[in-house]
Amino acid sequence: MIRNELSNKKPLNILEKIEESLEKLNDKMEIMIEIQKNGNGNNNQKAALSLPDASLDVMTLLSMPDHLRKTAMTICRCNRATAEEISEHTTRARAVESAYLNQLVIMGYLKKERKGRKAYFFIDKETQS
Amino acid sequence: MSKIIAVHSYKGGTGKTSLSVNLSATFAKMGKKVCIFDLDFRAPSLFAILKTPNADHWLNDYLNNTCEIDKTLIDLSSRLSGNGKFYACLANPSTEAIRDMSSKDRKWEMRALGRLLALRETMLRDQKFDYLVFDTSPGLQYSSINAIVAADFVTVATTGDRSDVDGTKRMLAELYNLFEKKTGLVLNKVLDPSATAKKTEMQNKIKIDYQVPLLGMVPCFCEILRAEGNLIFVQDKPDHPFTKIVAEMARKIDNDEVN
Repeated sequence: MIRNELSNKKPLNILEKIEESLEKLNDKMEIMIEIQKNGNGNNNQKAALSLPDASLDVMTLLSMPDHLRKTAMTICRCNRATAEEISEHTTRARAVESAYLNQLVIMGYLKKERKGRKAYFFIDKETQS
Repeated sequence: MSKIIAVHSYKGGTGKTSLSVNLSATFAKMGKKVCIFDLDFRAPSLFAILKTPNADHWLNDYLNNTCEIDKTLIDLSSRLSGNGKFYACLANPSTEAIRDMSSKDRKWEMRALGRLLALRETMLRDQKFDYLVFDTSPGLQYSSINAIVAADFVTVATTGDRSDVDGTKRMLAELYNLFEKKTGLVLNKVLDPSATAKKTEMQNKIKIDYQVPLLGMVPCFCEILRAEGNLIFVQDKPDHPFTKIVAEMARKIDNDEVN
């Protein structure tokens, strides 16, 4: 019986690890895409990239493109959230929110922290002082 | 359902503070637990209108993270009839405090927004307040936009003045639309008494002109001017038409009927 449980668990564990690795890979690819975009001459984002702890204040929110503003405003309200939690508020797909959140991390407005399989996004108010 | 309401306008002198005080007092008279906040840090006035005793802690201190919100609240419930609770959280009127608030940088404003958003948990959820009413400064000031972002519903006060009408339209289209805020317009100091009688017609006109629903229309009442901000009108003049108009606005907000 124990052998059966182990043999059932093993493939599941492997699949979970594959999923985790794919998510990490996805995050890295999003960062690379963003860097590539900035390399192609978006001056505003370039300026933001040079500020590792840019402040997410209301004037910044106002100047953001609509799609990012919605995500940024939701994280302002939630303080700390996963892409899944943000997507519940915005009613957009988790993958879409994940891409926007990573974009905000690259622009210096958010911080990202991994806890197990979950990635949490938050505004780091301590370093923004 | 509990709500944060911001009262804002494009220009000064549109009756924001009078509307904020009387709307808050009306909610309290309805039996609600309410707190009015003075977010006009450049020209604080609530302390004078409400004739509060000298406060030890101000809203400034809470936003500066030097005290918790409980320390700043002044209980004014005894001023009103009924079982409701009426609190005020005031802006520091000293010149030094005004100068200090005028020189804050973007990062401070970002943290101030976080502190305002945190009131949803501390006051609405934990202390069971029904309404927080933010009286803001006119125009596109940091503190006002912070209040708008933190609010669930925004009341915009406007008059028939040409400069106010154009600016208000632009502000609603270019600012409020971006933040996707639920908004109700209050047409204040209406000179034509027949306009208030043609309710449906005016509602449609406002919706076309401003692209937001009409929350209410307030005729120009000499009695309000004569009171010189010395009384909480809805408490002291319960039978006055102004009191009835504000009560209707409060009822609409409470029942989520502003569409």
